[in-house]
Amino acid sequence: MTEAILFSLFSITAVFFAVNVIFRRNAVHCALHLVGVLLSISGLFVLLNAQFIAAIQILVYAGAIMVLFLFVVMLLNVRGESPLLTPGAAKGFGFFFAALAFVELLWVALSGGGSEGTARPPAALPPGFGSPAEIGRILYSTWLFPFEVTSILLLIAVIGAVVLAKRKFA
Amino acid sequence: MDIAFLIESAVKVLIVFGFVLAGVPLVVWMERKVIGHMQDRIGPQRVGPFGLLQTIADGMKLFFKEDLVPAGADRVVFIMAPALPVITAFLALCVIPFGDTVNVFGRQVPLQVTDVNIAILWILGTTSMGVYGIVLGGWASNSKYPLLGGLRSSAQMISYELAQGISLVSVILMTGTLSLAAIVRQQEHLWFIVPQFFAFVIYILCGIAETNRAPFDLAEAETELVAGFHTEYSSMKFALYFLAEYANMMVVSGIAISVFFGGWHGPVLPPVVWFLIKLSLFLFFYVWLRATFPRLRYDQLMAFGWKVLLPASLLNLAVTAVVLALQGAK
Repeated sequence: MTEAILFSLFSITAVFFAVNVIFRRNAVHCALHLVGVLLSISGLFVLLNAQFIAAIQILVYAGAIMVLFLFVVMLLNVRGESPLLTPGAAKGFGFFFAALAFVELLWVALSGGGSEGTARPPAALPPGFGSPAEIGRILYSTWLFPFEVTSILLLIAVIGAVVLAKRKFA
Repeated sequence: MDIAFLIESAVKVLIVFGFVLAGVPLVVWMERKVIGHMQDRIGPQRVGPFGLLQTIADGMKLFFKEDLVPAGADRVVFIMAPALPVITAFLALCVIPFGDTVNVFGRQVPLQVTDVNIAILWILGTTSMGVYGIVLGGWASNSKYPLLGGLRSSAQMISYELAQGISLVSVILMTGTLSLAAIVRQQEHLWFIVPQFFAFVIYILCGIAETNRAPFDLAEAETELVAGFHTEYSSMKFALYFLAEYANMMVVSGIAISVFFGGWHGPVLPPVVWFLIKLSLFLFFYVWLRATFPRLRYDQLMAFGWKVLLPASLLNLAVTAVVLALQGAK
């Protein structure tokens, strides 16, 4: 019961903030609503017994990445929008992708893939599920290779950023 | 979730809340008095005995000041911003244990608002959210100096958060837990300041930078930025920023005590008293630094964070890991 109430609460706030991210004109307000989305989703993670992911979500996304977003938005001082596409073309693209997503969902629903999503008794959680210790264990055993590859990707990105920043534009 | 648990939690929340609200004026008084004497002045002495009521008088004055909102300001964000750092400071204080488990009417009550198994991540998360108050306050004022102050502080806090987190990780490696209550219990015989001295030095330097205190108070450097991010704030909104700064000092000190200085452990005196003694010493240390060190230049600050503290904390972490692996512990 408590869980259902909390789930509805976090879902509603997440959707509310997400809608605002799209419809707000002011870039800083958009960024703030995105922080709201991230916090709500972190609440949902807690309900899923994934406390570690929830904390990391706040720490990394809401606490660091969004601060950098804000930083850039403030430095660039974005006033109004400078659209990449003409309004007509943007609407065309929007309708195309929305239609594509709709057809895909319809196809999944009709092809019986939806039965996967019907209510089943929840599986029992293995002991220590979602705890930092357990996540660390599987990251360094089962998923060691993808984990290391990700870290090398990040390293490449860091080095790339430094090289770009150091390049002299004559 | 029974009624007794709810009452117990509510009482603990109120105790922490009241303690901070009552403690901050005392700390401000202590700061003015100590700095006064260190600079060969006498500090406040007119209002109340030893000037003790000076901060209360200042608080009253702030209550009756006009509450200004600049014409070009973003009203909603401007009003919301000062509340954020206060909220995050109180959230972080929730997980700091200030005493041993005590027996109240037959219930075992741990003296800590809540003991979560990810306490350290929780604290790092909430303090990283605290930066929004400063950045948004600076932006919403729609004025040059506050914006510069806000931008400075966001860069500063992100930079120092990394080294701060990593310095705490080396202690976590030793304890094998993220719960502050468990970390405190493991320090019954040996405080972690002894094996992790370098981690402590890095932690406390970053902590001072995180709370925007001298000599790292670049966000409000009055010689360059008028008053930095809170230039446009007056009345109780300004008071909230002030409260948040001191509450955050208590958070940083509380973590330092729990992680490095044995928490509430200590001989003879009751645990809560030990915690308060250690907290007072840390707050005194903050004031002492402010009285004796000049402010850094901004590029020095960033270079120090990225080129000295971060590599040092990584090195410390690596050494800790190697030593622990050789011992075959945990």
